[in-house]
Amino acid sequence: MSKPQGWLALILALAIGSVFVLRSLPLSLGLDLRGGSQLTLLVKPAGIVKKIEPNKLEAVQEVLERRVNGLGVSEATVTSSGENKIIVQLPGVQDPRKAADVLGTTAMLEFRAQKLNTEQEMTGLMRLKRLLEAKLDQLAGRGKSKPDPTNSLKDLLTSLNLPTPEAATEKEQLEIILADTNRRIVALFDPPAFTGTHLIDAGRQQQPNSESWEVTLRFDRIGGDQFAALTKSIAGTNRLLGIMLDGKSISEASVGPQFATAGITGGSASITGQFSAEQARNLEVQLRGGALPLPVEIIENRSVGPTLGAENVRNSLVAAILGTALVGVFMIFIYRLPGFVAVLALCLYALFNLAIYALIPVTLTLPGIAGFILSIGMAVDANILIFERTKEELQDKNSLFRSVEVGFSRAFSSIFDGHFTTLISCAALAWLGSGLVRGFAITLSIGVLLSLFTALTCSRTLLHLLLSYPALRRPWLFLGSPSVL
Amino acid sequence: MTSSNNSLLREPAFRIHKHRRFCISLTVVLVIFSVLGIILSWLSPIHAPLKPGLDFTGGTAIQVERICKSSCTDFSIIDLRKQLPPGAVVQTLDAGKGVSVRSLALTPAESGELVEKIDKVVGPLQASATQINTIGPLLGSQLLRSSLLALIVSFIGVAIYISLRYARLYAAMALLCLSHDVLLTSGLFAWLGLLFGVEVDSLFAVALLTLAGYSINDTVVVFDRIREQQQVLPDLTVEDQVDRAVAGTIRRSIYTTVATELPILALILFGGETLYWFAVALFVGVAIGGWSSIGLIPPVLPLVGGKLPQKQSELSLSLGE
Repeated sequence: MSKPQGWLALILALAIGSVFVLRSLPLSLGLDLRGGSQLTLLVKPAGIVKKIEPNKLEAVQEVLERRVNGLGVSEATVTSSGENKIIVQLPGVQDPRKAADVLGTTAMLEFRAQKLNTEQEMTGLMRLKRLLEAKLDQLAGRGKSKPDPTNSLKDLLTSLNLPTPEAATEKEQLEIILADTNRRIVALFDPPAFTGTHLIDAGRQQQPNSESWEVTLRFDRIGGDQFAALTKSIAGTNRLLGIMLDGKSISEASVGPQFATAGITGGSASITGQFSAEQARNLEVQLRGGALPLPVEIIENRSVGPTLGAENVRNSLVAAILGTALVGVFMIFIYRLPGFVAVLALCLYALFNLAIYALIPVTLTLPGIAGFILSIGMAVDANILIFERTKEELQDKNSLFRSVEVGFSRAFSSIFDGHFTTLISCAALAWLGSGLVRGFAITLSIGVLLSLFTALTCSRTLLHLLLSYPALRRPWLFLGSPSVL
Repeated sequence: MTSSNNSLLREPAFRIHKHRRFCISLTVVLVIFSVLGIILSWLSPIHAPLKPGLDFTGGTAIQVERICKSSCTDFSIIDLRKQLPPGAVVQTLDAGKGVSVRSLALTPAESGELVEKIDKVVGPLQASATQINTIGPLLGSQLLRSSLLALIVSFIGVAIYISLRYARLYAAMALLCLSHDVLLTSGLFAWLGLLFGVEVDSLFAVALLTLAGYSINDTVVVFDRIREQQQVLPDLTVEDQVDRAVAGTIRRSIYTTVATELPILALILFGGETLYWFAVALFVGVAIGGWSSIGLIPPVLPLVGGKLPQKQSELSLSLGE
């Protein structure tokens, strides 16, 4: 009997190896267990791109990765999922608002010159815009602006004879008018002279004697030349230089006559919109990361606080330990010594399973742990089949050793079939499901495959080992039905 | 295999055939009960076979926990409602300690603002215990499609496997068994949705799909037993063959079902709120799966008539013999 000893050595080696793996490699916990935010972004086709090709998805992913790094969230991950989705995981972030702002916008920067002969209309629109913004600030309680914009705004709105939009509150009405004004301002600019693709760096600095910030830009050579040409063409006129972000004008500036000969050279510029510190930082991160080649939309947001995550870990740990204990008591009660062997095999199973999670590594999520707990019950199924078969053989007055052997070999085909059908549906889940569903399917599949090994090899080897002690070779210790023996 | 086959030759102590009327009537009653639940759910305001949760409908669910010293102070739910977007639903949890809000899908910025508004009314809140889930409406329909597809794929996969390893008749029986298990579990949740407002989420879909693979285990064991018997006793009637197979596997089926249910029970009792209904669905499904291997397929198999197909198993285990 050299083979069982060989198996025993293997099992011991695996057990020691698993302990070692678990000590050196930590299990990685999903965001629902450690707390954090997960955003799913849908990449949408735009313009000539009708279908999202893998390389386009990759390009979007790269930009998002740069932006996430710019945000400075540690251990953040950006992964693509399916044909057109990107999942951003931000551990420890409870309020994903800022991240969503930075990640969700395209950040396409455009530099445009104002159209000829639109100076008068522009002046009117700019005045309206400033008044609207001042009034909105006032309504939001930020109003320090003097003089009070209310009256002049009212006069201007009456003189322009704008239709009053249908909205519940004054604030909403003003917002609609402001959006419309901004659209009309954008329409007064020529098509973009060049875009943010020629940026090589972005920065931010506080404006002197002011609370507002500006974002500084540095162009590559082509961008620098184009910027010079653009500023030259409007220098000294009353036409404005417009900087648009995602089709919205964020800055309109006039260029002084001193630049009429060469334009603004040197390859750098700054955007002096009225940025808050955070807005400036967000824009800096976005511009540094580059514009998204395709627009994205945040379609899923799962945020879990760390306390809740810890509670989830505690709950599922209690359930897993209690579940294993209950199964253990049940097996020993029904099958006595072989039941005890099955419990040992079950413990080995749990150990190997966790080691595999750490090795692959599998990120444990709540459904993943549920899959693991479910597989505990399934893992003893094979042992039950074997022991029932063994019992039948014992009833036929076969020897103990022989009954055990026959039990193992006869139960094999039904064990295999049962495990295989479970694997089929796991495969379907892992293939077609996403996120949480896939996590569950993967842990359950690992469990099913591993339980084939532990139930057949481990419990068999251990049972052989115990049978080699004559003191344990007593029928009443086996399978717990002395009445039929 | 050189062992004796006495265990297969023994006269079975229990004959499922004698109880077939009871089994079939019980199955019919359960199926009618389930279909009725699904139809009623469709006719009710839910207007769907099962009450769909956030994962399927799309929307935002926010759950916050209040910091309470000994007991939680009351707050005005009317004041809270005023802060919420139109159509939002508020629920208090744990005797006023927690508050959950459901609304149409909000952007992360809007959700963050909403948490701040809730904080103003019911606060102070424990920031680290806040949970926000937003599912876009598009994702919900995608989930439904992919779940149904996965269900069909695993049905086909199981059917092909059984017909290769056994015979086409058994594959048909396996499909009957799977549909039965999935239908009954869904039916129960249709009733739970109607009576207690229990919603099905993506975890429920996972539970159903797991059952689609697992619940058939017990039935496959019966098929395997029949195949083994046929080598020793090829000339038995179908009823006799089935009765012997059931008698030989019933104890194993019950034990296995119990052993699988015990960890699920621990999950129901201690696994926490997120996994509660998922665990319930699995618990019910595993029980139904165990039942269908005894009370559904064995009584139905003889009704098909003719002889049972025979096929040898090519699998055998030879470890260290």
